[in-house]
Amino acid sequence: MTRRSVALFAAAAISLAPAVLRAQDARLDARLDARTRDAVVSLIDSARAEGIPSEPLVQKALEGASKHADGSRILTAVRALSRELGDARAALGPTSTEAEVIAGASALHVGIAPEALAHMRASRAHGSLTVALAVLTDLVARGVPGDTATTVISALASAGAQDAELLRFQQGVERDIAQGATPSAAVGVRAQSAFPSAAPRRTP
Amino acid sequence: MRQHDEFAGKEPDDDILERAVNELRRPLRVNAALFDARVMDELLRTPTGLRERFESLVRPRTFRISPLVAFAAGLLFTVSIAGSVLYVLSSTPPARERTVARTVPGAPMVEFGFAAPHASSVALVGDFNNWDPKATPLRAASTGGVWSVEVPVPPGRHLYAFVVDGKVWRPDPAAPKATGEDFGEPNSALTVADPRGGR
Amino acid sequence: MLDGRVSPAVELSDAALVDIVLRGESEAYARLVARYRDRYARFALHMLGNREDAEEALQDAFVRAYRSLHRCGDPARFGSWLLAILANRCRTSGGRRARHERRFVSAEDRHYAIALDHPADASAWREEIGRALARLDPDQREAFLLKHVEELEYEQMSAITGAGVSALKMRVKRACERMRRSLTEGEDAPAR
Repeated sequence: MTRRSVALFAAAAISLAPAVLRAQDARLDARLDARTRDAVVSLIDSARAEGIPSEPLVQKALEGASKHADGSRILTAVRALSRELGDARAALGPTSTEAEVIAGASALHVGIAPEALAHMRASRAHGSLTVALAVLTDLVARGVPGDTATTVISALASAGAQDAELLRFQQGVERDIAQGATPSAAVGVRAQSAFPSAAPRRTP
Repeated sequence: MRQHDEFAGKEPDDDILERAVNELRRPLRVNAALFDARVMDELLRTPTGLRERFESLVRPRTFRISPLVAFAAGLLFTVSIAGSVLYVLSSTPPARERTVARTVPGAPMVEFGFAAPHASSVALVGDFNNWDPKATPLRAASTGGVWSVEVPVPPGRHLYAFVVDGKVWRPDPAAPKATGEDFGEPNSALTVADPRGGR
Repeated sequence: MLDGRVSPAVELSDAALVDIVLRGESEAYARLVARYRDRYARFALHMLGNREDAEEALQDAFVRAYRSLHRCGDPARFGSWLLAILANRCRTSGGRRARHERRFVSAEDRHYAIALDHPADASAWREEIGRALARLDPDQREAFLLKHVEELEYEQMSAITGAGVSALKMRVKRACERMRRSLTEGEDAPAR
């Protein structure tokens, strides 16, 4: 998007959705001090102008408010999330749903590379990536190396694993880790039993 | 390697029993935090040794919100059993958890549970209710100190936590943790599958 | 000398910990729990056949032991005393699941000794062992596990189970015979 078209889009977005903006303001008004609220609203407006979903940004600000964080910390968090949402959207493509973008942003947040998101999209052209990305995020948050997790989840996804199976897979890995397995080993063993043909070769 | 008198023999089959014993001897690891907390919680509720300062040692128990449950809640949509109630037994710890999923138009219903026998209030906060501690209080069960509530949660990945007594922030110990905390207080992650999609 | 707060870094004997707990420092019991939890979970699992029952039985045993800690004859042998409580609990209450389900129905949540460096068919082997164990009488299974998995001496086993040494030896012998048959002949091995 050129700067000019962004500006036009921004203008259009603001003029077309004053009611929605006001609703957001109400929630933010009630919970943030005026200065923080203004800064956050401004951030959110820019984000929306670029097609980034605004609701997660509002929720992030409200989370900070509930946790009694100071204004600058809230702003930092909202700004970071906005960037992650933007990067996720770019990696997943313009046809991604809001839920996919949010899950993608959380994946980026735990350190998964944007390329991995693009790879996931390529490996599963149809159907939602939301659950796959969420499972990927949770595995990495649990200590599975990013590369391993991405390889396995992509393989499962392209082998046709349904959302339920991906969730069961993640549950199984959590259980194994709780029982003493290392995260990588847990993923390796589970992948083998779930999809023998799709599992990656175990690294020593 | 230890000699097992009962296994000494010339038959090749003796080896199979020895192999079985070796397998049985493999160390087991229990989910320590959860198990220890349950034991200590149980102990400290008895008249002997009950001391208030142990509250801080005893992490509140929860029964987890199994993602499978969230999915199962969604599954009801695809199966289209209107108005009926299905019971879903989760196979993850703790064992006795049960969740009830009901068909409701819109977002799948998810049951959240939290065990805090000494709390006077428990609230659910998350990115689906504006993180508002007043929005979704849990109801206490008549016994056992278990609090619960059912809420509609839209498909997708969500962050949530519990607020105990209006001020103490607690994640769900058994649920995936959301790392990289922005504000210092920990969150838990919940993934709700879209009942219509996922292929 | 201890002033009432036990430093986590100090490794105390069972007897010392029991003494501390009996003097009012209930939180010290957590250390005993941590000490025996995993090992006895293994025993409970192999006795009862599924995780939920095993953890419930183990939790129960720890709580009962705490409540009757003043009746523990020899605090230095807390471990054996606890195991006796657990074994008794496994024998009498068994498990809810065991009562209503056929054991070892599915591989998934039955065995938790995760094979980290074995191929995927290790779980089938563990299942088979589990089935063989399930076919034993509870007395035989208990004796077999105490002797060969917990690696106790017969005198210890006698103190734990209350049975005589020669009876225990017989149970172990029978158990080994049946296990061997089950494992070599598979599911069609006749129960004897």
